[in-house]
Amino acid sequence: MSLKKKIILGLIVVLIGIQFFQPLRNQSGEVTDMHIEKVYAVPQNVKAILQISCYDCHSNNTRYPWYSRIQPGAWYMAGHIKEGKEELNFSDFGTYSTRKQRNKFRAMSNQIRDGKMPLSSYTLIHRNAVLTQEEKQVLMKWFDAMADSLK
Amino acid sequence: MKNITLSIVAITMAFITVSCNQSTSKNEQSANDTVAVSAQQASAPAKENDTVVAPPVSDTANGQEAKTAAGETNKFSIAPIITDYLTLKNALVSDDDKAAASAGKKLLATLNKVDMKAIPADKHKEYMDIADDAKENAEHIGNNAGKIDHQREHLASLSEDITDLIKLFGTPQKLYQDHCPMFNDGKGAIWLSENKEIKNPYYGSKMISCGKVEKTIDNK
Repeated sequence: MSLKKKIILGLIVVLIGIQFFQPLRNQSGEVTDMHIEKVYAVPQNVKAILQISCYDCHSNNTRYPWYSRIQPGAWYMAGHIKEGKEELNFSDFGTYSTRKQRNKFRAMSNQIRDGKMPLSSYTLIHRNAVLTQEEKQVLMKWFDAMADSLK
Repeated sequence: MKNITLSIVAITMAFITVSCNQSTSKNEQSANDTVAVSAQQASAPAKENDTVVAPPVSDTANGQEAKTAAGETNKFSIAPIITDYLTLKNALVSDDDKAAASAGKKLLATLNKVDMKAIPADKHKEYMDIADDAKENAEHIGNNAGKIDHQREHLASLSEDITDLIKLFGTPQKLYQDHCPMFNDGKGAIWLSENKEIKNPYYGSKMISCGKVEKTIDNK
């Protein structure tokens, strides 16, 4: 067997091997009392956008697509979710201090305005998570109003 | 068959080595950051002298005297936090995102070093809320060299944190609270300065003298 064949075979074995090492799934399966929807009255149109475009990485419940089990993509995804939840976790929003909540609302509004969120690497695959101008306005208006109410 | 097994082992090893290398390079990066921070520290006093700020030592002494006079027994002083904040603010005044990043890291380290036991119990919760937020802001500024706009957004929030800290603990040195009406789409933002002259950290050289002094914060 040539060296090239051996390498290819080896790679295939490694690829198959890592499929057995799946990261923990980010699915608590419940909406806790500290979830933003329990703490604040989130308008229906805002909620709908949050669910589609934000919660996958910023809550304790990710809706995983079928291919999310394929490694090493699952690791990459798990890393993103971990990072996302550290920055902002809608499932824990009620545990944040008022100051932190206010600043998170402001930061969310800025991120949406600047088009930094949702991440382009996320919307590349999740096309329905791309925000229209209208949806951006809906979010920013609500985020700004919430930030002002927490002064 | 032996050969195949060998090549699998080799590739696995290669895989592990690659991932290990990644973490090593991360470590190296943080090591470099530390170096940058100390370089910043070294250059900081020179800058302070230029702007004629009283030496930090006497500041601390003043702050403590003021507190003792007010009948407080604790020795907690926010002087090091203010010093780091001013370094950070001045870096953004001079449009220096890298200096701002290292100042942000220094501020984060200073905040992490605070001894909670030195803070009076009745101020614990308020301090924690403010400090958590300030740490997050400092961390973001520290990690975003190259994105000065993002650093400035966090400065706006950090400046409010520092103002609230001063309300709680007093200031060891005379400060000016300045206001920039334009920042953040006209929503406005404040900053604190050791000098009366306006030097806007939100726009730097683009609009250096834009803004006005809202109030003078002095020893309480």
